[in-house]
Amino acid sequence: MTDENGWSLEMDAGPIYVQIGERVREQLARGDLKPGEKLPSARDLASRLSVNPNTVVHAFERLEADGVIETKRGLGTFVREDAPVEAMRDESLRASALRYANDVRRLGVAQEEALRALKEVWDAGKA
Amino acid sequence: MLAKLDQVTKRYIKNEGVRDLTLCFPPGEVVGVLGLNGSGKSTMLKLIAGLLFPTDGRVVVFDGPPRRNRAKIVYLGETDALWPWMTPKDADRFMSGLYPDFDSGRFGELLDALEVPRRKTKTMSKGERGRLRLAMALSRDAKLYLLDEPLAGIDLISREKILSSIVREWHTDETILLSTHEVAEAEGLFERTIFLRDGRLALDAQTEDLRLQGKSVVETFKEVLA
Repeated sequence: MTDENGWSLEMDAGPIYVQIGERVREQLARGDLKPGEKLPSARDLASRLSVNPNTVVHAFERLEADGVIETKRGLGTFVREDAPVEAMRDESLRASALRYANDVRRLGVAQEEALRALKEVWDAGKA
Repeated sequence: MLAKLDQVTKRYIKNEGVRDLTLCFPPGEVVGVLGLNGSGKSTMLKLIAGLLFPTDGRVVVFDGPPRRNRAKIVYLGETDALWPWMTPKDADRFMSGLYPDFDSGRFGELLDALEVPRRKTKTMSKGERGRLRLAMALSRDAKLYLLDEPLAGIDLISREKILSSIVREWHTDETILLSTHEVAEAEGLFERTIFLRDGRLALDAQTEDLRLQGKSVVETFKEVLA
């Protein structure tokens, strides 16, 4: 159920259609998927992930309703040119920040210390 | 309704196969049939296939008894009954003669997709034979597919190939009932999951509803059947 192209799913992490939606948003946030690009067909993706094609269709319908993708008849499913990529990046950043904040809070660390550690690790990673 | 069991009990000489099962299967569902050994999975599938007759209750498939509609039902049993001398080409001839809905073109494509070697089954591995048997089953054009343990005793790569072929070949108006012990690998396919315990229905759930409650089918399996 994992896939080299960023489609990995966890069977115990909520509905699969929600996870597929999240993977599409993450790929857009990272720039792995860009506005105007074509998505795999529901059946291809379902086959790759060993999930029910209806589940993928459901995920695509939700993304379409949210203005992220659009279906062009006879051509396939595409990321909309005006997909809110910035908002998705921001959302993704905040989700990561929240995970970090929750983790270090459990360590009983003060905010300044947490931020300092983040900066240190960040700078070290850059070098 | 494609298939219906109405208070079905199947009693064998010594024990009961299934007890008081009432279930409906509309067209277009991929259903996981799960349970421990001896829970009644195979009995249930054989009853729907018309290979067993209920002791009590009624089984209806396409508005009639399954026996009358055997030609419209694909049943892939647990036992590997392929002749040792049989090659995929022989299997093609055999199935074409037996079933008017058998599509040789599709069979050829499936043999390629499932990477089935073109040689006698006696020289094939268990996984290769399992893949051949699945290709034979999926090459028929039916509305109801009963697949009993198509993943049992087969290597991981073959299991993946089998699952992805099932996804690829499934048409949205067809119903597939698939029993397996490989719950983690197969659960993504199931829109609906039926759990059997001691021949009785323990749980019948929409799979995404289970996940909405934060539970995988594997976890539910342990909870319901432990």
